[in-house]
Amino acid sequence: MSAQDSLYRRLLVWLLLPLLGLGALMLFQAYLGARDTADRAFDRLLEASSLAIAEQVKWQDESLWLDLAPAALEMLATDAEERVFYALYNAQGEFITGNANLPGLSASDEQSLYYDNVTWNGQHLRVGVREARLEDWSQRERFEVRVAHTREGRERLTQDLFQGSLVRVAIMALLAACTLVLTIRFALSPLTRLRRAIRERDPRTLAPLELDLPRELAELRETLNELLARMRRVRANQERFIGDASHQLRTPLAGLSARAELALRQENPSLWRDALKAMQATSASTARLAVQLLSMTRLNNPETSPELVPLDLNQVARTATLGALGACHRDGIDLGVEAPEEETLIHGVSWQLEECLVNLIDNARRYGARRITVRVLTEPPTLEVEDDGPGIPAELRLMVLRPFFRGSDTGEGSGLGLAIVDSIARAHHARLTLHDASDGHGLRVSMRFTGDRS
Amino acid sequence: MMLRLLLALSVMLGLELSPLHAAQAAQLLHYPAQQGTVDNSQLDISGAVDTPLIAPVLEDFHRLNPDIALTYRNLTTLEVYRTFIDGNENPQSDVVMSSAMPWQYQLANNGYARPLELDNAERWPTWARWRQELFGITFEPVVIVYRKALADHYGKINSHAELLSLLEREREALRGRVVTYDPARSGAGYTYAVEEARLSPRYWELVAALGGVEADLVGTTQEMLDGLAEGRYLIGYNLLGSYAHGFAEEHPELEIVIPSDYALVMQRLAFLPRSADNPEAARRFFDYLLSEHGQRVISEQTPLGAVHPALEGPGSASALRAQLGEALRPIRLGPGLLATLDKLKREALLARWNREFHRPSTPADTPLSEETAP
Repeated sequence: MSAQDSLYRRLLVWLLLPLLGLGALMLFQAYLGARDTADRAFDRLLEASSLAIAEQVKWQDESLWLDLAPAALEMLATDAEERVFYALYNAQGEFITGNANLPGLSASDEQSLYYDNVTWNGQHLRVGVREARLEDWSQRERFEVRVAHTREGRERLTQDLFQGSLVRVAIMALLAACTLVLTIRFALSPLTRLRRAIRERDPRTLAPLELDLPRELAELRETLNELLARMRRVRANQERFIGDASHQLRTPLAGLSARAELALRQENPSLWRDALKAMQATSASTARLAVQLLSMTRLNNPETSPELVPLDLNQVARTATLGALGACHRDGIDLGVEAPEEETLIHGVSWQLEECLVNLIDNARRYGARRITVRVLTEPPTLEVEDDGPGIPAELRLMVLRPFFRGSDTGEGSGLGLAIVDSIARAHHARLTLHDASDGHGLRVSMRFTGDRS
Repeated sequence: MMLRLLLALSVMLGLELSPLHAAQAAQLLHYPAQQGTVDNSQLDISGAVDTPLIAPVLEDFHRLNPDIALTYRNLTTLEVYRTFIDGNENPQSDVVMSSAMPWQYQLANNGYARPLELDNAERWPTWARWRQELFGITFEPVVIVYRKALADHYGKINSHAELLSLLEREREALRGRVVTYDPARSGAGYTYAVEEARLSPRYWELVAALGGVEADLVGTTQEMLDGLAEGRYLIGYNLLGSYAHGFAEEHPELEIVIPSDYALVMQRLAFLPRSADNPEAARRFFDYLLSEHGQRVISEQTPLGAVHPALEGPGSASALRAQLGEALRPIRLGPGLLATLDKLKREALLARWNREFHRPSTPADTPLSEETAP
């Protein structure tokens, strides 16, 4: 879109162009009309003249006879001093008298009088031909009177009439253009108000816009307000998340501080050692928490979503399981993979999906599962983690996806595991659902890659 | 082609177009270009104007334009027409002047004339021009000439009405002593007959009266003037005033009357042909001819009568108008002239003319109104 582009200009151009075309059409029409009118007016002269001549045609000495009245010719010439021609022809088409061998015209319809423009000896003539017959007692001889004059008078009248139309059309065009400009200005004024209202806002406020606008712009205002409302919610979420995260980090840090202080009052190095061990464990879990917070933030940032590439879910499941195998083995948990033989291809980011599985396995382990199964289904591509732990009551299954929500106060989880899983599922346009395990005891988390919309 | 047709027609009918005797035509005037002038150019004028009449104008033009070698050929109107139409004259005419108004008009109407585009031409009175192509350059009333002795017997003749009344009253006395144009032989006479018949139906009474006195019918003004001077005729009707004036100055026994009820006015029409070899020189000639100066020469040094509205002295159209007012009827320069050339029209008019001329004499008991022609 060029810098010159503007709604105002667009409207003006697209309204003025057709207007211009229309004006040109009107002028063309006016010219044709003017010429037609002039021809009609001047054809009356041809009509009158040919009639005056025809009335003088008599039968005498076995031949057509004409006593031509000078006035019959003089009426053919106007102020424009046209050149004048006339001729009389008999029924056989023989020239009887006249000052020019005027060309005949092909008869039109039943009319006894017809006109046409002809070029004769290099002159542009309007010819009128009158077919008539003698009205004598016995003689009904047919004859033809042809009269013609040059077009100066017609052209002058056409010019005059056309100039009149020209002035009228020009005035109309001017009025139309003025009206158009004013109308467009008026119609676009709410847009200016909207712009001004937005510009004058405090940049930190997300309060809805309150402004009276026409319907089309009201829709835009509503859309803007909806966007603002979403932004308010997002900001509230972010603020809560930051609050929660600070709180989560403060507790272990306070614990560390207290433990260190306690240990410092002791003199026994073995107690120091215990304290240090405890502090190491706490700081490790705090570090993990920090890592999770970081990945959570990164996942929620729409600006840095990595590109989705084709990958095999089976591979993801095996890798994740392999990684978690050691920890589970230490705790005596039975961890297994169920995957089809053929590849299950989707578009995704493998490390995110692996993280997802690791989180789910970890969760199940922490909440006391004895048996964990990672499963890959093909139709549609689905990742499932099923355990035989305590499960989650149906009414809490949505709540647990929120950060820092914990199903119970026991356990040592950060409360971010499922939230991260949820975020990854969103990033993959996958559908995350929580179910009872297939034997009714435990939890089955299912991530269905419904459509490859990436 | 049309013109040839007309030409053939006029030859066939034996129409003598010039009011002058043929023997006086075909004269040549030549004014060589002055030595030492640059850009010598030619100018060839064909005209049906007697050389003594046109000479002062040509001399004056030549004095003002010494670089132009000027040749004037005096021809009869028919010759003017014929040489022009045939197109095989050598050299081609650059200016064509003739008193045969219908023929000149016909040529211009058919597009043989070139528009002038001169300021003087733009200002020329509209009644004396057609488009910018055909210009009436003189103003010559058609007059009645009679011997002064006649007035002593029968009183003066001042109008057509008085002439008519005299002819009817003194039929026996005037038998064979009146002369006029034969419309069948003379183009000018025929043109006047058409115009007069158009002006008033009473013209036919006059024709009948002329027939009643067995008027002599001749072909040229000169014949009439000669007859009047010799005393063979007492009254001449419809003479060309420009010729009569010069003649009357040498023959004081003749009286010239411009009729006060109506007087036809003939104009010599000039145009610049498209085929002209020297259109630029011709344009200069027209510029001179239509200028106040050129017209003053015409009015003061020739009997032709000047048209230019700025001239008011004797021999100008304005002076004649002041004297005769509405009675002057210049032959209208318009398409009506074409009707004059119509073959059937001519036959019809001549038939009527002969019928009226040879009408069995009726006693002059019709009361004459003093009212002039319409």
